[in-house]
Amino acid sequence: MSYIVIEGLHKKYGQSTVLTNIEMSIEKGEFITLLGPSGCGKSTILRILAGLTDASAGKILIEGKDMHDVQPKDRQVGMVFQSYALFPNMTVKDNVAFGLRMQKITSAEIEQRVQEMLETVHLSEKAQAYPKELSGGQQQRVALARALIVRPKVLLLDEPLSALDAQIRKKLQADLRDIQQKLGITMILVTHDQEEAMAVSDRIFVMNNGMIAQSGTPTAIYTRPESEFIASFIGHYNVFTRQTLEKMIGELLPQGYSKFAIRPEAIHLDRRQGDVSMAGVAKQSFMSGNVIRTMFEGDCLFTMEQLHEREQRIKVNEKYMCYVAREDVIALS
Amino acid sequence: MKKRGFADLFFLLLALYLVLPVVATMLYAFATKWNKTILPEGLTFKWLATLFQDAEFIQAFGRSVLLSCGAVLIALLVIVPAIFVIVLYFQKYEKWIQVAVVMVYSFPGIILAVGLIRVYSKLGVSMILVVLGAYVIGILPYIYQGTRNSLRNVDARQLLDAAQILGASKFQAFTKILLPTVYPGLFAGALLSFSVLFGEFVLINLVVGSRFETVQIYLMKKLSTSGHIASAVVFIYIVLMGLVTFTIAKLTKQSKGATNG
Repeated sequence: MSYIVIEGLHKKYGQSTVLTNIEMSIEKGEFITLLGPSGCGKSTILRILAGLTDASAGKILIEGKDMHDVQPKDRQVGMVFQSYALFPNMTVKDNVAFGLRMQKITSAEIEQRVQEMLETVHLSEKAQAYPKELSGGQQQRVALARALIVRPKVLLLDEPLSALDAQIRKKLQADLRDIQQKLGITMILVTHDQEEAMAVSDRIFVMNNGMIAQSGTPTAIYTRPESEFIASFIGHYNVFTRQTLEKMIGELLPQGYSKFAIRPEAIHLDRRQGDVSMAGVAKQSFMSGNVIRTMFEGDCLFTMEQLHEREQRIKVNEKYMCYVAREDVIALS
Repeated sequence: MKKRGFADLFFLLLALYLVLPVVATMLYAFATKWNKTILPEGLTFKWLATLFQDAEFIQAFGRSVLLSCGAVLIALLVIVPAIFVIVLYFQKYEKWIQVAVVMVYSFPGIILAVGLIRVYSKLGVSMILVVLGAYVIGILPYIYQGTRNSLRNVDARQLLDAAQILGASKFQAFTKILLPTVYPGLFAGALLSFSVLFGEFVLINLVVGSRFETVQIYLMKKLSTSGHIASAVVFIYIVLMGLVTFTIAKLTKQSKGATNG
């Protein structure tokens, strides 16, 4: 049996349904991400796991033990909040020590473990500071240390990096993955940032409207989207109806599917063996760092992405033949 | 420069207008004789000493402190937990507290006094207790604002969640985290309430009267007998209120520091 099992989880607030039939199994030491647009119910799953919110129906097992009727304080679950929720009346050290003090551990051991943990998150010199004296990134590291020090069975992270600027976020993503690997701890991260999800996770559960839309490794989710929602939410997939795409490439597509998706970087200008082709007039071009994104107008609009090269190869308002490998035309259910 | 001079002059006149009566009263409390001269003829501690030897004053002072402190304590015990519960769990009811706060301000003292007498005098309840009860309600605005402002600066619900996940019971989370967080604002509110009640005259005088002599009633009595003694009472009152204000200012500064950022 898996380390954490969620079975048939439902949640309603009054008339509105927030979660519908959520099923998840998570192995020990996995880094799981719940990815989805805001309001899709992903944070509610965390709150139910932590025992802060009751489920309307369904079951949660941690290490085979049913969590129904287990108080938050007895669940051995850690949580990091989006707004950190550091205790403003306590120093960094006291914040980190709080969970251990609640367990009535000897002060010598607390002292030692707090010091080790502060070293792990590189905050030893801030031990005596108050939360308000720290930057956002530092506060987030304190929140992480405070949650990790009690050695929870699972650490829940509720959009912990979304309030930070891009550079610190990237750094903390790497740190988070690093700490997770080093301590071998099971983590569940909630985020709406698909790049973040791709960067840190072992597996991703993409959510939409209170349901799990697709789950799998980052590579599987990215290269084999199962629905139009996933295709447009992950990356900038081109989504075509059967009719349009058949007209554009001039051949018939497999039966049983109404929509097809093509990754923008799978489209290229040089013909390879077995490619399908589609014609289009280059319209606008956007450059975002190393990637150039060009809009083409054929029988419908589509986008191509190329790595930035020294020579600009595409001229606006000229007609081009674009090519795609046959296996990169993905049928959506 | 000319404009500046005018502003300075205006400021000086305003300051004199505000400060002069206070300074004069305080000086009068220490003056031996001050009838025909611009400044007192001499200074003495006689009036202050007389006052402190007067058992009636000491008792009146004690009654005022007891009544004000009692009302503040009851308000803290009853109102503060209520505000916490409403802010944390029943936010939609908070508007009713705000309505109650405005009602407290909008009641004229005389209507309140007459109403209290009409209702309670026949019931055989001690009128002192009735006034105490009215005081508890009367300071609701100060206690509410003090607590609410401190709570607004932090996400109290999330702090409570965080503490519980870390193994604290609800009670521990309340006493170790929420209470210390709101403490400065709450204490400032309590001191403000105390000073307001300490100076209250209308209600106690109309409802209870001179049977229960507080500092304010003692002061009114002395006004007609000795100006010096009355001034000495005012002097003590101002010193006391000065201390309270100073403490509030210090606490307010602290609580701002504690919750900023």
